[in-house]
Amino acid sequence: MTDLIGSIIVFIGAVFLFSAGLGMFRMPDALSRIHAGTKASTLGNTLVLVGIAIYQPEWSLKVLVIVYFVLMTNPISSHALAHAAYTLRGRLVPSRVFGEDDACDREDGQ
Amino acid sequence: MTISHAVLTTGLLLTLIGMWGMLTQRNILRIIIGFALMGTGSHIVIVAVGYVANGTAPIIDDALPLSEAAARAVDPVPSALAVTAIVIGLAVTAVMLAFAIRLYGAKKSLSIDAFADSKW
Amino acid sequence: MMRLAAAACLLLALGAIFATISLDFRERTALPPLAAAYVEMVPRELGAPNVITGILLNYRAFDTIGEVAVLFMVAAGIGLLLGPGRKPKDAGRPGDAARDESEPEPSTEIVRNGADVMVPLIALFAVYIVLHGHLGPGGGFQGGAVVASCVLLMLLARPDYRIRLAQLSVAESLAGVFIVLAGMAGLVFAGGFLDSRVLPLGEFGTLFSAGAIPILSVLLGTKVGCELSVIIERFRAWGR
Repeated sequence: MTDLIGSIIVFIGAVFLFSAGLGMFRMPDALSRIHAGTKASTLGNTLVLVGIAIYQPEWSLKVLVIVYFVLMTNPISSHALAHAAYTLRGRLVPSRVFGEDDACDREDGQ
Repeated sequence: MTISHAVLTTGLLLTLIGMWGMLTQRNILRIIIGFALMGTGSHIVIVAVGYVANGTAPIIDDALPLSEAAARAVDPVPSALAVTAIVIGLAVTAVMLAFAIRLYGAKKSLSIDAFADSKW
Repeated sequence: MMRLAAAACLLLALGAIFATISLDFRERTALPPLAAAYVEMVPRELGAPNVITGILLNYRAFDTIGEVAVLFMVAAGIGLLLGPGRKPKDAGRPGDAARDESEPEPSTEIVRNGADVMVPLIALFAVYIVLHGHLGPGGGFQGGAVVASCVLLMLLARPDYRIRLAQLSVAESLAGVFIVLAGMAGLVFAGGFLDSRVLPLGEFGTLFSAGAIPILSVLLGTKVGCELSVIIERFRAWGR
């Protein structure tokens, strides 16, 4: 029974990871792509690891440590990417998704 | 359809996708990503060929005691080849990226069509 | 159009070949004789639980030196391509007047605080992977890559963090020299070049065991970590 539940959770995690890839492919803009890529893939990773922990209960502590590392590093790295994308966009390319916000955001010295 | 069969098919599929990316894309960075995909596909194929049915990793510890090591371990030689291949793939990708940086510095464009004037 | 058609033909042909490979594939049920010999010889003769590290750092150690040579050439080649200094004709670009090129972009608070937490953990993990290469999955190359990722995180979090390229190059070259010296010691004192039995085998499964394999792992990890850090620094500092 725990095998079935663990496998279902791993499958749901795989679906989220696939949707992360699909979102990165189909989104029009760099910031939207980063958003799709990080949120869905972090959740997909976490669900896959939780499913593995249910499948093999003696690995729960190790899986918890791995989930902690994933939750610490994935959002920070995507934040660094998004900050770089936003800063470069503000200097070089007029964005077509953010309309009137560009004027408001540019006055704080970007 | 066994495990290693599925892994082998995935690796060959990844190699084909990487090759498609290298041949049809115009952006230099996408070509480099295609190369990396092709490399990853080949590494997966190498490791999948070495799988032994119901085998486990060739590391002697509690899960694989010394007495049944020869019966249940997976082939270690393709895994060693894969370690070497991954490091070499990383090195070649680094050189490709350095070339991409210099090409961008020369023509201010990341499309390889900008360098078409060197064709015959 | 011709390009796409040619690519499609090539991919279809390769797909047909791969399909025949995949359809005729039979999973192995027993190890081939060479692999069975390795799996049985490495714990017995080298005292290393990890068979793959025993193969890479003893029986096939010459290939590992070849790989180390390839990495060294790549680091040198990237140093040549992305060499020091800016090209003089780049100095007059009009669009960069508002941005001071020599002033690095400050990093945000999230990245800085996250790096304060993660860098010690990553460094500890890198040392663990390198030292336990003969006991579990790991070894010199893997640990060296984690060292380089730690350096990359430091570079991202603190823009005024400077890597001393000269010292790293000296460290990397010294590690390479010591690897060859260890190899020659193996030639003189033990079975052959880079034989790890120059040092006593010790107790099976402890940290200080398996002869010279931990020392070779440390040297490899240092070399690979220094090389990848130098490569990352060259990427960062080009055009600045």
